[in-house]
Amino acid sequence: MSETKEFKRPGGELSNRPLHFIWVVDCSGSMHGEKIGKVNHAIQSTIPEMADAARNNPYAELLIRTLKFSSGAQWVTPEPVNVDNFCWSDLEAGGVTDMGNAFDLISSQLTIPPMSDRALPPVLVLISDGQPTDDYKTALDKLLALPWGKKSVRIAISIGQDADVSILNEFTGNRDLVLQANNSADLVKMIKWASTAAAVVSAPATPDSTTVAGGAGGSNSSPIIFDINNIPVPEESDPDDINVW
Amino acid sequence: MEGFIKKNTELISECSNKYRVVKLLGSGGQGEVYEVGLLSAEGEITSLFALKWYFKNNATEAQMSILENLISRGSPADVFLWPLELVHDSRFTSTGDFGYIMPLRPNNFKGIVDLMKCRVSPTFVALSRTAFNLTLGYEKLHGMGLAYNDISFGNLFFNPENGAALICDNDNVTAGGRVSVNGTPRFMAPEIVRGEAQPSRNTDLFSLAVLLFYLFMVHHPLEGALEAKIKALDIYAMEKLYGRKPVFIFDPDNESNRPVKGYHDNAIIYWDIFPKRIKDLFIESFTVGIEHPERRVTERRWLDAIINLLFGVVKCSCKSEVFYDDDLAADGVGTTCWNCGKEIPPVTKIVIGKSRALLMKDTKLYRHHIAGNFELTEAVASVTQNPNNPNQWGLRNESGAEWTYIGVDGSRTPVAVGKSALIAKGAKIDFGEQVGEI
Ligand SMILES: Nc1ncnc2c1ncn2[C@@H]1O[C@H](COP(=O)(O)OP(=O)(O)O)[C@@H](O)[C@H]1O
Ligand SMILES: [Zn+2]
Repeated sequence: MSETKEFKRPGGELSNRPLHFIWVVDCSGSMHGEKIGKVNHAIQSTIPEMADAARNNPYAELLIRTLKFSSGAQWVTPEPVNVDNFCWSDLEAGGVTDMGNAFDLISSQLTIPPMSDRALPPVLVLISDGQPTDDYKTALDKLLALPWGKKSVRIAISIGQDADVSILNEFTGNRDLVLQANNSADLVKMIKWASTAAAVVSAPATPDSTTVAGGAGGSNSSPIIFDINNIPVPEESDPDDINVW
Repeated sequence: MEGFIKKNTELISECSNKYRVVKLLGSGGQGEVYEVGLLSAEGEITSLFALKWYFKNNATEAQMSILENLISRGSPADVFLWPLELVHDSRFTSTGDFGYIMPLRPNNFKGIVDLMKCRVSPTFVALSRTAFNLTLGYEKLHGMGLAYNDISFGNLFFNPENGAALICDNDNVTAGGRVSVNGTPRFMAPEIVRGEAQPSRNTDLFSLAVLLFYLFMVHHPLEGALEAKIKALDIYAMEKLYGRKPVFIFDPDNESNRPVKGYHDNAIIYWDIFPKRIKDLFIESFTVGIEHPERRVTERRWLDAIINLLFGVVKCSCKSEVFYDDDLAADGVGTTCWNCGKEIPPVTKIVIGKSRALLMKDTKLYRHHIAGNFELTEAVASVTQNPNNPNQWGLRNESGAEWTYIGVDGSRTPVAVGKSALIAKGAKIDFGEQVGEI
C-alpha cells in the first residue's frame, strides 16, 4: 500500500483527441407537449451511459453540445462541455422549423477555429418530426462542404411519420442512418444507439459484409462503420397507433 | 439495471450444477454478464461465479462448439477467466438460449484503461509483474495450440498493488479455423487492418507487443509525427497509420515518425526510463515484426526481458524506482535516476543463464532463476546478512537441494539447504541445473 502511495509515475494520461458530439433538436410547434418531453427524457437518461462509456474510452475526450431550432436556431450549450459535466436542460417547443438556421450554426462551429485542427470526426445527431420551413438546402450544402462537415458522422432520428425522410437522408448521406422512431420505446433505443457513435468513432471497425458506412458518401468521407446488426429497428406497431405519442 | 434474466432466477448447468442469478454485472457487444451463486443441495450459495449469456445474434452453433472445445481442453493458466461449463435454458430463447459459467473477477482488479487514464498508479515492479503474468498466460494459451485473437484493453484486468492479472472474454479463442472477430482497432496486426489476414497466433504476438508498449510507455508504438499531422483521425487515417504505412516511432532507420513533444510526451518520457534490452525487443517488434508475422518477438523472449526488468529495479535515494541497464554498465556507463538525475551507486548482481538479478537487501530468487522455467512464485534463495559480521551478505539456500559455492580462488564448498553462500564479486554458485556468476 505505502509503496503505491509514495510512488509518483512520471508520465501523464494517454494522449487523446477531442470528439465533438452535438445533439440537434427540432423544437418546432409540432414537437410541443409529450413529444419534446419524451425527447428530453430519452436524451437525459442516455447521458450517464455516455459518461460511463467515455470513462472506458482512453482515445477520446467526449465534448457535448446541444443545438435547438424552431423559429431560428440557438446553442443551448454555447461551449463544448465534457460529458462528465454535461447536464441536459429541458427543451421547450414552439415556432417553425428553421433547420437551415441550425445547419448554419453548426457550420460556424465546425470551421477552424473555433474547431481545433486535430480531432476525431464530430458526431451530429439530428432529431426532427417535420419539414424545414427555411432554405435548409443551401445551409446543408455549405456544412457538408466544410472539411470537418465532410468528416462528420451524421445520424438522424425521425419522430413519427411526418418528418421529411428525403431531407434526413440528404443530411446523413446514408439511408441506414436515418432511424424511424414510432413510439417512445423506439426513441429511447435509437437515441441510446446514436450516443454509442462516440465509441465507434474513436475505435472504428474495419468494414466487412455486415457493416455500413456513415457519412456523405463520395471520396474522402464515410469516416465510420456501423454494425448493421446493431442498428435498432422500429417496433412493429398498429398502423393506427403510429402517430400516437 | 436489470438484464434479460431476472435476479434470483435459478439455472441448471450442463453438469447439473444449480446457479442462482445474483445481479447483472454489465453488458457487452455479444451478451450480458451476471454474477451467479453456485447452490448447495440445501439451496445455499456456496461460491460466486460469472455467467455470460449471449444475445440472440451471438448464440450461434459456432459459438457453442468453440465453447465446448474450450471447456473440454481446460484453462491454460490461472490468469484466464476460462469457460467452465455451459448453461442452456429455453426459458430465455427470446434473447439467446445459452451461456457459460466462468470465474468471477474480484473487485480489486482494475482495467488497463484505468492505467491509461492515470486512475491507478502501480509501481514499475507491479507493472512488470502484470506484463509478466499476461505474457506468460498468452504463452501457455499458444502452447495449447490456441490463439486469443483479440488482445486489447477491454478484456484484461490487473491488480495495481501486486501486478496480478486476469484475462477474460475467452470465448473468441480458437484452434485454427474461421475466426469470428477481427480484433480491436490499434491492436490489430497491420496485415489484418489491410484485410490480408485473419487473427492467428502470429497476429496475437503483434497485439501483445502493442499491449506491452502501452503498459510500459502509456502510448501507442505507431503514433508519432505521422499521427500528429492528421487532422481528422477517421477510419482512412487509421488504416494508413496502423495498416498501410506503419512506422515505429523509435525506428532506428526511419526517423519520419518520431514522437512529437506536446502530443506524445509519454513516449518521450518513458522510453528513456527503460533499459536497452526491452527497448530492443520493441524495436524488433515494430520494424522486422511489422512486415514479417513469422518473425515477431516470441513470448519467451519477452518473458526473459521482463524478468530482468523485475529483478533490475533499484530504489534511488529520492525514492524513485530506476531500471538498471546492463548494456550501459557493459559500456562502463552508470545508470542515472530519471527523476533526480543522480547516478545509481554500483550494484551487486548475479547472472544465471539468461537472467540477471540485482542482489539487494530483500532480494529473493525464484525457481525460474535456477531452472529457467518462468516460475516466479516459489522462492529458492534470499539475500541474508551474516549475523556475526553485518558487513557480509550471503545468498541463503531455500531451494531444497544442495548447491556448490565456487570461491573466487576456485575452491568448492557445499551449501546445504538453510546455509548462506557469501556474496563476493567473481564468486560462482552451482545451483545444480545452472551456474550463477556474481
Ligand atoms: N468473469 C467476469 N467477472 C466479472 N465481470 C465480468 C466478467 N466477465 C465480464 N465481466 C463484465 O461484464 C461486462 C460485459 O462483458 P463482456 O460480455 O465480456 O463484453 P463483450 O460482450 O463486449 O465482450 C463488462 O463490464 C465486463 O467487465
Ligand atoms: Zn533519484
